[in-house]
Amino acid sequence: MEALEPPRLAVRRFRAGDLSLQTVAGAAALAAAFLVCLIAYTIVRDAKPAWSKDGLAFVTRDAWDPVKHVYGAGSFLFGTAVTSLVALALAAPLALGVALFLTELAPRRLRGPVTALVETLAAIPSVVIGLWGILVLGPILRDHVEPALHSTLGFIPLFGPPASTGSSVFTAIVVLTIMILPIVASISRELFLGVPGELKEGALALGTTRWEMVRGVMFPYARGGIAAALILGLGRAVGEAIAVTQVIGSSVGIHWNLFATGDTLASKIAASYQGAEDGAQVASLVYLALILLVFSLVMNVSAQLIVRRVARRQGIGAARA
Amino acid sequence: MNRILAAAVAAAFMVTSCALAVAAPGKQSSTTLTGAGSTFVDPLVQQWVPAVAQAYGYELQYSPIGSGGGVAAVSSRTVDFGASDAPLSRDQFGACKGCVQIPWALSATSVIYNVQGVRNLLHMNGATLAKIFSGAITSWNDPAIRKLNKGVALPDLKIATVHRSDNSGTTFNFTDFLSSASPQWRSKIGTGVAVSWPGGTGSRGSSGVAATVAQTPGAIGYVDVAYALKSRLTYFAMQNRSGKFATPGLKGILAAASSDQKPDGTNALSIVDPPKKYPLAYPISTFTYVIVPLQSQKAPELKKFLFWAVTKGQKAGPRLLFQPIPKPVLVVAEKAIARIHA
Repeated sequence: MEALEPPRLAVRRFRAGDLSLQTVAGAAALAAAFLVCLIAYTIVRDAKPAWSKDGLAFVTRDAWDPVKHVYGAGSFLFGTAVTSLVALALAAPLALGVALFLTELAPRRLRGPVTALVETLAAIPSVVIGLWGILVLGPILRDHVEPALHSTLGFIPLFGPPASTGSSVFTAIVVLTIMILPIVASISRELFLGVPGELKEGALALGTTRWEMVRGVMFPYARGGIAAALILGLGRAVGEAIAVTQVIGSSVGIHWNLFATGDTLASKIAASYQGAEDGAQVASLVYLALILLVFSLVMNVSAQLIVRRVARRQGIGAARA
Repeated sequence: MNRILAAAVAAAFMVTSCALAVAAPGKQSSTTLTGAGSTFVDPLVQQWVPAVAQAYGYELQYSPIGSGGGVAAVSSRTVDFGASDAPLSRDQFGACKGCVQIPWALSATSVIYNVQGVRNLLHMNGATLAKIFSGAITSWNDPAIRKLNKGVALPDLKIATVHRSDNSGTTFNFTDFLSSASPQWRSKIGTGVAVSWPGGTGSRGSSGVAATVAQTPGAIGYVDVAYALKSRLTYFAMQNRSGKFATPGLKGILAAASSDQKPDGTNALSIVDPPKKYPLAYPISTFTYVIVPLQSQKAPELKKFLFWAVTKGQKAGPRLLFQPIPKPVLVVAEKAIARIHA
């Protein structure tokens, strides 16, 4: 709209607009940075009692006993890593499949409704998914999936004896997979849509099959963006608290059996912060929050590095990343 | 056009935020009583909300955020009263600076189970229950359980224990009972709103525990009695010190409450696992408390409400399996309420 106006007029009007835009945008950016600093400061301050009592030993200790005042983050850190990484590993191929289906393979009439449904999945509140996890998913996994996996792949320690209740690390992983799937799928769909038609047609014209075109043109083109989408999904999985609390069965201890109960950092904080009775427990919970913050930061930064490296290697992907 | 729109949005935003800022302090002057704490007592307090509005015109706002949270909230004076199922510890009293604790409701915790084809009110005792929750007894046809239930065909089914994953006064009541019944439990695990469970599955809230037990054949869990009744789960008759098996009903709760009617200096009462001269007592009963600052700006309103709560308010209790507090405790409560001043 502005482009249609005479250039001189536009320049003069823009001055005031530029200034106010700069002020508002700058203030917003500063406020966001300030807020992050404030949150970090509060967490560090409130975690201090636990930090000065236990130091780094807290991070690896796998105990949480509010009666004897012994606290440690070990089992929660382990649980967070296992649930989020396995969920991501399960969600990534599924999400890419969904995205490919929606952009390349699905009949045109199906694309709109299915896309809308996938996006609706992302909009379901986590507490609702958690509830469904308790009432429907947990019992199904316990009665059908876990026994089958245990009897066929039981020699791998991951697939130990099935849980007696529907709550287990595995249930939490499946719930997280369902939660991050739509995020990764819809971003990947956008990326695939952004692959220039002439590149795809060129590849097909050279006689590639559709799969060769996907592998040779679409994936490399979108690689950086897909990595970024996976980071977003991972972030969601690491930080998810409520749905995990509902289905993971909250127990302390480090073990490899996915079918036993466990806990994660976010889930422990969500379950225990409200109504925490004494200062030591509150400080220890805030210490967990600090670890979660650092953990997410490390994951974010390393993921950024991966994206950048991939982008650099792929000249064309750099623009998208 | 975009700029005009942006300006309009900004103006609207400023106007509403100013309006909010102005409106917030205005609310203080009306007679709103705010409280927070125990989820256990929440159903009863919710019954009181319309009744208090009708009797005195006070707006009662209660947030069931858990006992510990309620104590913290009243300690920082962000609410007018807190509610806790566990009596305050000495540290908590210190942190609350001039607070008084008043017993204002009386109920119990029931131990629920899910075994197909087995009747309600199976027999159970504290020592066996402690062994089950420690993982020493793992099957429903264990001799210890069979001995308590002669003539009942108990299946060869794995026991799955279910406990609260959040901090809860119900957990305090339950572990208090296990500690009383089993020295090993007392020394190894102890009593608290959250403990280091030796095994089992944690679920969030009474609703979570009830749902998990309902989903799991062989499960045993614990919830407040009102919840067990509402969700139509089967629950144990618990053996008390006299050797009798008591059900978690009003009669059993009242009998347990009569075991301690002389509160200590802080008005704490302990009625868990009462001595054997109370043959009807249900052993996992508990008083729950309201915690108020002795000096309060809303003293007149707060006193009126609390007097009402411990007298007329108790009438709403039995339907929810809250036994009205006995006379001697009522006298203590009224004395404590009288000490609140502006």
